[in-house]
Amino acid sequence: MLIRSIIFAALLAATIGYVQVQTAAAVPAFARQYDVQCNACHTRPPRLNRFGEQFHMMGFQMPSAARPGGIVGSVKEDGPVKTLIDSLALRIVGGLFEYSESPRVTEAKFEPPHEVELFITRPLTPDLSVYVELEYEPKAVKFSRDRGFFETKHEFGLGKEAFFMWNMGRLIGALGAPTMEMGGQTMVGRHGGFTMHGPMLMAGKIDPNTNFSYPTNRQMLEATELEVEKEPGKEHGEVHRLPVVPYTFASKFFGLFKNRHEREPQLVTDQVMYNTTGAPGADLHAMINDVVLTQVGFLSENEGFNTYGMLRFDMLDREELTFNVSVLLNWGFGVVRAPDPDDRDHPGATRLDRLRYGVAANVRWKALDVYGALIFDRLYGLPGRLRREFDRDAAGLTLQVDYLAHEKVLLSGRFDQLWAGGLRDDKRDGTVFSAQVKFYPWQNIAFFVRDSVNLRAFREDNALRS
Amino acid sequence: MRGKTFAFLALASVLLVIGLWVAHPPASRANGEKDEKDKGGHAHVPAPLEYADAHVPLAVWTDPAMIARGKEIYTVRCAVCHGDAGDGKGPAGVALPLKPSDFRDKAGMAEMRDNYWFWRVSEGGTGEPFKSKGSAMPPWKGELSVQDRWAVMAYQHTFSGHQGPHVPWEHPESVVVGRDIYVMACLPCHGVDGKGDGTVAATLSPRRAPQPRDLTSAEFKFRSTPSGQLPTTGDLFRTLTEGVRGPGGVMTIGLRGYRIMPSFRYMPEEQRLEVIEYVKSLNRAFRERGEVKIVGVPTPPPVTPERIARGKKLYADAECLACHGERGRGDGPSAPTLKDNRELSIAATDLTRPERFKSGSRLEDVYRTLVTGLAGTPMPSYGDSLAGSDVGSGLLPPVAIARRPACRGRRCQMRTASRHKEDE
Repeated sequence: MLIRSIIFAALLAATIGYVQVQTAAAVPAFARQYDVQCNACHTRPPRLNRFGEQFHMMGFQMPSAARPGGIVGSVKEDGPVKTLIDSLALRIVGGLFEYSESPRVTEAKFEPPHEVELFITRPLTPDLSVYVELEYEPKAVKFSRDRGFFETKHEFGLGKEAFFMWNMGRLIGALGAPTMEMGGQTMVGRHGGFTMHGPMLMAGKIDPNTNFSYPTNRQMLEATELEVEKEPGKEHGEVHRLPVVPYTFASKFFGLFKNRHEREPQLVTDQVMYNTTGAPGADLHAMINDVVLTQVGFLSENEGFNTYGMLRFDMLDREELTFNVSVLLNWGFGVVRAPDPDDRDHPGATRLDRLRYGVAANVRWKALDVYGALIFDRLYGLPGRLRREFDRDAAGLTLQVDYLAHEKVLLSGRFDQLWAGGLRDDKRDGTVFSAQVKFYPWQNIAFFVRDSVNLRAFREDNALRS
Repeated sequence: MRGKTFAFLALASVLLVIGLWVAHPPASRANGEKDEKDKGGHAHVPAPLEYADAHVPLAVWTDPAMIARGKEIYTVRCAVCHGDAGDGKGPAGVALPLKPSDFRDKAGMAEMRDNYWFWRVSEGGTGEPFKSKGSAMPPWKGELSVQDRWAVMAYQHTFSGHQGPHVPWEHPESVVVGRDIYVMACLPCHGVDGKGDGTVAATLSPRRAPQPRDLTSAEFKFRSTPSGQLPTTGDLFRTLTEGVRGPGGVMTIGLRGYRIMPSFRYMPEEQRLEVIEYVKSLNRAFRERGEVKIVGVPTPPPVTPERIARGKKLYADAECLACHGERGRGDGPSAPTLKDNRELSIAATDLTRPERFKSGSRLEDVYRTLVTGLAGTPMPSYGDSLAGSDVGSGLLPPVAIARRPACRGRRCQMRTASRHKEDE
């Protein structure tokens, strides 16, 4: 069985693939603001190197070199037009997509573009920065809360993230803590002893995962699209193929709902805490003595909210090697709804709490970048009548390897394992391997080919198929 | 449940603030905390650039003859304020608004770098911030030779009880500010030990030059010192301030310098000097090299067709076109074979793109590059092989190639001058 699966997967990989083009998800606005190449901050966009992580930590400013006067200083020095232009960047993704309908049928879609994003971002003062994404998708697949089903439509609005970041060091100093000035920013502590950069308050529509050892918003393989198919004679479409996403941060449970009245399902692959596609909330993080990063925060999710804490330990770079490890603990209060025990296709009256915890690590050595995460979930508050039919535990493992084969060529591979929870009759585990070759003719332009292979036997009724 | 959670988090925040307030190292000059008027000593400021390379030879600190000479000078000139015991309590010192340094303060002395010390002895209280603080210390540079100033410093050093030379590897607290800045801003590229082995190095321009500098080596590209010598502090300051341009393509508008090493011009000047002092502490040769010789940059000659023709001939005779090519595009016959000192492929600069000149495209930048070469790369120094005026002429082809020298006489001078001003 296993051998047949491997052979089958190899045949699929040989006949199916994606060809895509995208701007590489660096933000050229920063390149222009600081007159610096993308590779100074990115291993390859969108993945940040350690200097880029420091840049992000500084509120999108050069480490130890915040511009005096912020945006006012920029207008005085560069003029209003250049200041405005340097605050903007455009990202376009599009290409040819192919999907396997079955081992014998392949569907192709040409979507140039399928996503357009406008970034507006810059520091306003040395201690305050802003970051806003506006996104347009000509064929976004979204759940219509008015109509009660998934549909494809064009959509324009706030993108994944829209937040301000504020360095609270000065406030902590006003409360009596010792502080010092470094590069225009206030740091807590003293040279030669305890030092803390931050705490940085990030508030708005945020993805706190950016500080994790596995920041899914900066990984090389992007999520594929949710597919909805409308069968003849039916009024509306149904989920036909779930996207290929990092399973470690997926919802992981079959049969859950986001809300009651709209009856919006929580798909097993929906990205939820502590990586989200951007949720309203506030995050506090601080770097202590340049080796320990601490993070706490609150984010809303569906009808409830999450609290979380994360700790990351960094090893300082030497001999082209660095390593960091993170631990995460997250409690979601009433963030999902259990199905109605009498009608599993509809949400019930019970909201469930979710405990999420896990570990992640990242090793960088020369041209090799390896990162992964293992996250466990457990639901609390299940109605008694569901407990026999509902598995409240789930887990996800994601492991990614990037190798810079050449200055302009990046090879990536990702392994995803889902141990699903939820309704026992419906739940399916998933095992997916994804591979990608990305070519950067310029540092901010990339062409890539990728393929994802379901390593489990093909099942017509399994929406996890690739 | 939610109320309890908020209460818990609020309590945790308060405890964190209290913890931060109590958990910090003792007040020190490195953090600018010790009160100058009460405790004497120095403000923690770096030596200005003109004194930044004034390091005391290592042997001086422990040379009995120098110490004895220093004692003679100290007794006559310094003890009246600083006291016979070096405690800052000399008869004339007790009434001064800014108290004389207490040389027995071990912690304070350990934080004081030798070039700063030399600056203070040389200029006294005439420089800021000491002048504003009311320092009465006279400048001794007019009365004491350099050797005598070293001698008196060596004697003053004995009051601290420290036996070895007064250098950062004996007193790491003297570069602690710079170290903190380095860890935040420099370590990802240059590595924790300054060997250019940060993780960014591997992906910046993989398997080819340029790579982050090994700060512990003897080879620095951008210098105003002759070939084979370390840069001055001013050279390091310029590199830190302006960054380093490089090849590599970003398709966008408005990029000028295409920097691979960012410009840190917004870092306060004092902090730039602090981090440079830390960088110098990684390489003992900066303190062992003795007198620093600088290559002067003369006034650029007028641009005339004759000089351009002369320069064109020199461009060929000096074999510039072997690497940079006949049209200056970095496509000379030797270009594909070039390697740097780490055996990495390195590209010859495209002279038609002055915005990519690593060390800048101003006339003085190009002159300096020609005369001193770029250590660690195949670009040699022409300081010995070309006469001064010829360097000036040899300077012109790369400048001219970059500035499209399809001009004659006064029109050419005006265009070159305007371009020069534009770069500034």
